[in-house]
Amino acid sequence: MNGRTRRVSQRSQMTQKKRDLGFSLLLLLPAVVITTIFILVPVVDSVRESFLDYKMKNIISGRPGEWNHFANYIKLAANAKLGPAIVHTFLFCLVVVLFQFVFGMALALVLNSDIKGARFLRSIMMMPWCVPTVISALTWMWLFQPQYGFMRWFTGIVTGGRVMDLALLNNPSTALSGIAIAALWKQIPLTTLLLLSGLQNVPDSIEEAAIMDGANAWNRFFKITLPYMKSVIKVVLSMAIIENFKQFPLIWTMTGGGPDNSTTTLAILSYREAFVSNNLGSGAAVTTVWMLLMIVVVIVFNKLMGDNQTT
Amino acid sequence: MKKKRTASRILKYLVLVIIMLFLMFPLYWVILTSFKSNMEAYMYPPTMIAKNPSVQSYVKLFRQNAEFFIYYRNNFIVSGITAFVTTFCAILAGYALSRFHYHWNSVVSGVLYASQMFPVVSRMISLYGLLGKVHLLNTLTGLILALIAAMVPFTTMLMSSFFDSIPVDIEEAAKIDGASRVQTMTSVVLPLVKPGLVSVLIYAFLMTWDDYLHCATLIQSDSLRTLSTGVALRYLGELSYDWSLVNTISVVAMLPMILIFFFFQKYMIKGLVAGAVKG
Repeated sequence: MNGRTRRVSQRSQMTQKKRDLGFSLLLLLPAVVITTIFILVPVVDSVRESFLDYKMKNIISGRPGEWNHFANYIKLAANAKLGPAIVHTFLFCLVVVLFQFVFGMALALVLNSDIKGARFLRSIMMMPWCVPTVISALTWMWLFQPQYGFMRWFTGIVTGGRVMDLALLNNPSTALSGIAIAALWKQIPLTTLLLLSGLQNVPDSIEEAAIMDGANAWNRFFKITLPYMKSVIKVVLSMAIIENFKQFPLIWTMTGGGPDNSTTTLAILSYREAFVSNNLGSGAAVTTVWMLLMIVVVIVFNKLMGDNQTT
Repeated sequence: MKKKRTASRILKYLVLVIIMLFLMFPLYWVILTSFKSNMEAYMYPPTMIAKNPSVQSYVKLFRQNAEFFIYYRNNFIVSGITAFVTTFCAILAGYALSRFHYHWNSVVSGVLYASQMFPVVSRMISLYGLLGKVHLLNTLTGLILALIAAMVPFTTMLMSSFFDSIPVDIEEAAKIDGASRVQTMTSVVLPLVKPGLVSVLIYAFLMTWDDYLHCATLIQSDSLRTLSTGVALRYLGELSYDWSLVNTISVVAMLPMILIFFFFQKYMIKGLVAGAVKG
């Protein structure tokens, strides 16, 4: 190759690279622009607003919010709103994620075994997942209805007449568990589906070898199946944590945060502060605390599950 | 040994029956109530099958509740447009993330991953003011834009994992044949990821059909509301619930989603699983 053609091919490589760069940026542009404008900017802006005296009337009159020396945070803490909301959020998230995983895994294991009609069952079990969240809230409100609800009658029979007037959602000490049941109903299907696909990836040969070695079902599950499914389990758990940490429409529709604030999570509190009490600054303060907690949760979760990011 | 196996079989079926009943019974109950007369719906103890099945609440819904169908139509418009635009953005960005490896790729993926975790309310608090300034508050355009942004991060990562599964060699071959970049992408690679594309489209549609918060905060006129918000605000009075009507609404509202799911089941399951295992 003489010097001239080499130079030409170098130059065409250069332009090739430049074109690749331009093309790649062009492709990324729509997604990046829309995420920046409608997610990143608003999130940063909401953090700023959390330090301002910023209410609905500021928007109407077009007057910018004023720095108020952390008054939003101080007020929330002083009125004992923030503490209980944090407790409710964590409690709800922990309980739902735990049961979701246990039941989802149980169903996945059964569907993965040599059971008749497993494919059919797998597809019809997905139905609750397709039901819109507000509709699933209505479904369970009707089941839990204090006078005519099915659950009132059902618990009466199951407990042999000891619990005659179950009104889960109307009692401050049980309302959150009522919502958790509705959340489980909607979320178990997807968890099962994903865990099932994870189970199907566990090679049969290893299972068989373990059976030959005389490992019992319990040991096989904990020593072979679970470790093999680690990456799927990690994804399933992190999806469940994010979803339940953020849960809003289910709680808002079923109880609106009541009775007696017993189901007021951070999502409910922030919405109520911002869009019911029309105090946007105070709502932004709640969501800022919420985001900080979310970051802590993600860090702790990654530490617990081991930092082996697969991507 | 044999006894033990029977015991484990029984346990297996017990687990199956209990969980499946928990998942299926509420749906049966909603459908059942929707076909009961109001008299029968308010009977205690409740009847397990409708004694006099009637379609009166369906008739009532169609005759007297025109606004319900406005919400329904709005939801189809909003979810449909959102799903298509989201998929378009996700194809482009997913392709870029999968095929070109620049150092900012990890930054873009990181941002996309993180943006799924921000609480919706925090975005809404700020968007309420920002959209107000550009007169997009209380418009379907504003709502659709906000929803697209909510869907783009996850769908882009999903799309990029689908592109990852297509070997690059195929593209090289097309390039040698003189196909342009855009041609390679649209006529060579895209047909190969069609199943993934369909699952992204359906996923975006289902997820935005489910939206409540965006519509509740960004829309004020009743005539622009989508289903979840409209139903929650109009039919859930503090004092009285017309439970037959509410259950009828539930059936009509969940029906399209369930049909879409069953129709595209093959794609949906594949897409959801791929998203979880790769993303």
